[in-house]
Amino acid sequence: MAVEAFSSDWAKQFKDEINKSSVYKAAGKGWKWTVGLVVEAEPDKNFPESRGIVMDLFDGEARDIKVGPASEAQQCDFVITAPYTRWKQVATKELDATKGMLQGKLKLKGDLPTIVRYTKASQEMTECTTRVPVAWPDGS
Amino acid sequence: MHDQGPGRLAGRKLETTTKETTFVDYASSQPSAFAEMLGGLIAANVTARPEKKRDFDTLVARVGIWVTDIDEGVTLAFDAGKLTVYNGLEPGRTITIRAEAETVMSLSNLKIGLFGMPIYYDEVGRGVAAKLLRGKLKIEGLLPNVATLNRVTRIFSVQ
Repeated sequence: MAVEAFSSDWAKQFKDEINKSSVYKAAGKGWKWTVGLVVEAEPDKNFPESRGIVMDLFDGEARDIKVGPASEAQQCDFVITAPYTRWKQVATKELDATKGMLQGKLKLKGDLPTIVRYTKASQEMTECTTRVPVAWPDGS
Repeated sequence: MHDQGPGRLAGRKLETTTKETTFVDYASSQPSAFAEMLGGLIAANVTARPEKKRDFDTLVARVGIWVTDIDEGVTLAFDAGKLTVYNGLEPGRTITIRAEAETVMSLSNLKIGLFGMPIYYDEVGRGVAAKLLRGKLKIEGLLPNVATLNRVTRIFSVQ
């Protein structure tokens, strides 16, 4: 059953998908940092307030993923920020996250060599988001 | 220092890439995201790794990188300890690399082996070599500039 985008239920299913992925388990080996996803508000898309997703990822496992205010996600070691529509494009495979970062459509803050070293893990994490059935607030 | 305790957040102190460096400049007052990413990556590598700094301090070359699936590119003008990053491809390039975004990221994940040679026999290296053979990775100016390419790869690699 579809869950509301970027809600607590979505976070739980996203975490489950990551932990089911053998690809992520291998590619994320050695990762020790928190990742924050900031989903910026787009009131005209029925997404009125920015949200933050705090991901506690450790050594190929998602220990916790929770949704809260954007300010919490901004405290993470790595922060990826984009408006709601961009994240939706990523989750529906319309936009490749790596390309999005190179084009500045997704803004990344954090140590670049580290994130580049884990490109495969971040690609698989993106794949995991696409496996969560989502009800989008703008209805499409 | 990271912790492994249950219920506590992962995390380890990280060097940030936003710090000012005196050796990387951007030709444009509005560098593209790709230019900032490559400039930031090289700045972080050279700052953290003395062996990369040695390569950086002696390299004089103009290297173009064109990402075919986003139609964007940069020129990295290395000048013995200074780097200027241009948006787009500039004339007078020593080497030009053309590949998809994923392959460009793979290039920066090549491991460096004995005598500073990039390793092409592990999983990442085989992937890069296969793309070169299939024409999905094109390197113009490769033959007369193999040593330069190896040096650029060492500076660029995060491994």
